[in-house]
Amino acid sequence: MRCDLQIHNERIDPGTSQFVSAASLRARLDWFNKLRWGAAVGVLAVALIAGVGLKAPIEVRGLLLTGIVLLLLNTAYSLRSRRFKAVDVAIELRLVKVQMVCDLVALTVLLNLSGGVENPLLFLYVIHVIIASLLFKGREIFQIAWLAIILFTAEVFGEYFDLLPHHHLPTAGEWAHELPFILMTLGSFWLVILFCAYVGALIMKHNRAIKNELVDRQAVLMDEDRAKTDFFRFVTHEIKSPVNTAQSGVETALELGGEAMEPSVRDVLNRSVSRLRQATKIVQDLADLTRGGVLKEENLTQVDFNDLVVTTVDEQRDLAARSGIEINVLLSDPPILLTTIRNMAETIVANLVNNAIRYNREGGRVSVRVVDTGKRVRLVVEDEGIGIEENEQGLIFDEFYRSTAARETSNLGTGLGLPIVRKFVEELGGTIEVDSRVGRGSTFTVTLPRKSRKRRR
Amino acid sequence: MAEKTILVIDDDIDLVEIIRVTLENQGFKVIDAQTGERGLAMAKEQNPDLILLDVMMGKVDEGFQVAYELRSDEVTADVPILMLTAVADQTGFDFDPARDKDFLPVNEFLEKPISPRDLVDMIRKHLPTSV
Repeated sequence: MRCDLQIHNERIDPGTSQFVSAASLRARLDWFNKLRWGAAVGVLAVALIAGVGLKAPIEVRGLLLTGIVLLLLNTAYSLRSRRFKAVDVAIELRLVKVQMVCDLVALTVLLNLSGGVENPLLFLYVIHVIIASLLFKGREIFQIAWLAIILFTAEVFGEYFDLLPHHHLPTAGEWAHELPFILMTLGSFWLVILFCAYVGALIMKHNRAIKNELVDRQAVLMDEDRAKTDFFRFVTHEIKSPVNTAQSGVETALELGGEAMEPSVRDVLNRSVSRLRQATKIVQDLADLTRGGVLKEENLTQVDFNDLVVTTVDEQRDLAARSGIEINVLLSDPPILLTTIRNMAETIVANLVNNAIRYNREGGRVSVRVVDTGKRVRLVVEDEGIGIEENEQGLIFDEFYRSTAARETSNLGTGLGLPIVRKFVEELGGTIEVDSRVGRGSTFTVTLPRKSRKRRR
Repeated sequence: MAEKTILVIDDDIDLVEIIRVTLENQGFKVIDAQTGERGLAMAKEQNPDLILLDVMMGKVDEGFQVAYELRSDEVTADVPILMLTAVADQTGFDFDPARDKDFLPVNEFLEKPISPRDLVDMIRKHLPTSV
């Protein structure tokens, strides 16, 4: 059985109905069921109130009988719906047809008992044909349309030629039994029915074609996206080796040359190492960004989040001390255990704290808070730094985007730290928000679920 | 004390030369091989005191295969192996020899790029008798 969720990116076979799954067809059937309860109760109420209460000259016994038959049929349908699971599209579709035929017959009987061609309720046939046009494919829609036409035409002429009894509506005059009126009514009835079937079939055909087009285009886009990611992964892999080797080489030269080196040469090498480290960081970040499918059950471990935050923050204290920045950590009490991927959670904390230090003011403060919110844990990282312009706040999570202020502050950022944070947070099933004022500082708030699990796509 | 011999198995010739300069400067003797096969042969013939082994050479896991073969050969079974890797970023693997020692055939993972000082420290730590 296919589930409803998958319908959205599944092509529709143009030869079948829009409702490709047994479960969704069953939902339609249950909906018809509700409508039918209303119809049956309506018939019984009219028969009792008008016929018995108001003593109007209508066919009370016939109407009551039809109402009761409808009630019984509907009870049978709903019992079946509760008893048996919907598993087979073909069976459900056949049942829809059976019900529709029964309904058309019941409607014809009701019309026969209540004036036939005089009764404006004859347009209920039209509603049936419209519903059929939504559920069935082209030919089947016209089968229902022709069945409606045949049933009602037979009923009308059956009455006209005295093959069936005619029950006058109390309000209708003798004119209603004249041939011109009958032909006029039947003519417009035929026209409306066939027009509805035609328009319904046409609309649904287009609808299916458009949906299929969308599904195909989405598939192409997803392929392109995958190809892009594969390309990034390949480029990352190819660049990594030479950059690593170059970095090791320059570091070795610096190490071996030592103090004996000309200061200007040493300065050049130091600058080279610093830029090579930046390149290494970009390559590593790109590798983080382009790797996927890490969130598997076997990668999840239990992590004491307080512990993880303390360890990760401690690794950044040297960097903070160099700019005279103080880091305050406020942990949750009692400790919070997360079922998560440790190195992803570490990277989230590390990148946010690292940004809070690097884009802070000299001697500023960084505050890191862990808050237990029940099903989730909240991590708040607040700085007193340069802040982010409001129109840039939506862009800082885009790959390689660096805010104007960030570019002025440091030329060593990769523009990948926050995109990685967002990617990891989303993969772990969390959320991230930023609140910032230029010149006052930024606050990043991350929430993570206590247990990360693979999301359904 | 005798000069310690380090075998470097890596297909990146430039990196091998950089490592050679670093290690020779510290008084080690460096021999090298550019393929896993050649490295295995040299390990058996020349009895190095320690092996530096790259993970990804011709094939993605060539280094691992070499490490398993070194461990299963009587002559080389006890030679410390330090594995140079850039593989963690590529695969999302998070190796930890202390945790995974039953399954990992090496003494240490060194994530590239490794600074010359860290490399020398690691080699000293894992040599049978320190130099």
